[in-house]
Amino acid sequence: MPFISKDWRSPGEEWVKTRKGCWEKKKVLENCKSLTIDSCEQDAEMAIQPHCHITIKCTKEIAGFNEFDEAVKRLDFSSAVRDVRRFNYICALLDLLIGQQMTALSGCAQRVLLAMLEEVARYATASQHNPRRLRHLLNNLEGLRAAERSACWGGPLGSQLLWTQHTSQIEQILNMAAQMQICGPNPESYPQLLQLPEECIREIILRLSDHQDLTASAETCEQMASIVGEQRVWRELTKFHFTQQQIDLVLPKDNEKIDWKDVYHSLKKSFGVNEERQYAEMLSLCKYCRCLFWRSLGHPCIADQSPEFRARLQEAGGLTAPSPVPPSAFLKFFSL
Amino acid sequence: MPNIKLQSSDGETFEVDVEIAKCSVTIKTMLEDLGMDDEEEEVVPLPNVNSAILRKVIQWATYHKDDPPPPEDDDNKEKRTDDISSWDADFLKVDQGTLFELILAANYLDIKGLLDVTCKTVANMIKGKAPEEIRKTFNIKNDFTASEEEQVRKENEWCEEK
Repeated sequence: MPFISKDWRSPGEEWVKTRKGCWEKKKVLENCKSLTIDSCEQDAEMAIQPHCHITIKCTKEIAGFNEFDEAVKRLDFSSAVRDVRRFNYICALLDLLIGQQMTALSGCAQRVLLAMLEEVARYATASQHNPRRLRHLLNNLEGLRAAERSACWGGPLGSQLLWTQHTSQIEQILNMAAQMQICGPNPESYPQLLQLPEECIREIILRLSDHQDLTASAETCEQMASIVGEQRVWRELTKFHFTQQQIDLVLPKDNEKIDWKDVYHSLKKSFGVNEERQYAEMLSLCKYCRCLFWRSLGHPCIADQSPEFRARLQEAGGLTAPSPVPPSAFLKFFSL
Repeated sequence: MPNIKLQSSDGETFEVDVEIAKCSVTIKTMLEDLGMDDEEEEVVPLPNVNSAILRKVIQWATYHKDDPPPPEDDDNKEKRTDDISSWDADFLKVDQGTLFELILAANYLDIKGLLDVTCKTVANMIKGKAPEEIRKTFNIKNDFTASEEEQVRKENEWCEEK
């Protein structure tokens, strides 16, 4: 019996030209189930769920076959940047990668990394989304470039030419971010933020999950300061980031008046903020298909496709949910 | 499917499915209290919402009509400003005036989901910005005196270090 690989059954490959003029494999045809989104709106346009098969047990040898740039492409990171839900995750990932001495990465991975950074910078400047995050990333990048320039011996590994390309790209990204301008609303537009009733402004403030954003808004004007100063805002913030047990530890024992702002800061100091809560959307790993995918998009799961397999799983103790993959865990799959 | 007529502040009437209209708690309680029958051709006046905004609200409610009700216990989820579905994100790519009017309408009509997603969108505009940038984004006038501003800033710094 001849061995028939998956490729044999797949409809083949189609190549598309990217914006930059290089060619890449069109993802659509790579043996995955397609799902129809909003058939009424986009006249049955087909989209595939980005997902990526991966070898989990990562030994040094195997890690070499898990290719970082391939995963980035398959998981569609470049469009993930433009999705608010996934923006934070990508930023955290980039942060880790830049921190891990970007220059030690493979040439291909570096290129992918810079392309992602450029996309982040483009998105953030265009939509004025979270400038602090972007600045933080770019400061690290700047630091990296400076360190590389002033290194007294040994340049970055690999091609000299590639690195010069990279430095010019870094320059470009930094320039783009420097030109970011916050534009205000149309002065005639009505209503404006402060014209909303106080309960609506409070609803908005209550949705901020970072204390830095709270203090920044408190510094804008008196009305905001008085709302941010309310105990309720800080109590909800504390309850969002910490569990009841943790809170109980620092609450004053003898019916003293609780200052929730103090409670928050002391908890933050002792426990730090929960990483997983910061991402609205994370990559997940399906244990059955060994496949990484975005939680909200799902993936063509082997358990869904074959009923027998599903039945066997249920016999063996039910389906286990896919496990979330925080950015640091994601990087562990690769030999970087 | 029984329909209901909603009238905006500028006199335009919209005919919508009762089930869709009922995602507004205000309309739902109004219907229950008045005990409206299906046969009656009653028009519900909504004096606080103009037709442009009402149209958007109905569009949102129609899209979300089959959503499962939000879990009661999970109040943590609300906080994440970036948990906005792509449809909602697209839907809310509007100018600030419209966005704030949607907040007002959602507040008045008591539509929790819409209020949540609009507030998150505004919160996202605050996120990661310095005070001066926030002022610029929303056209806020700085009404602190120099010494007050200094005091607020110091207070916050102190918290940060502690």
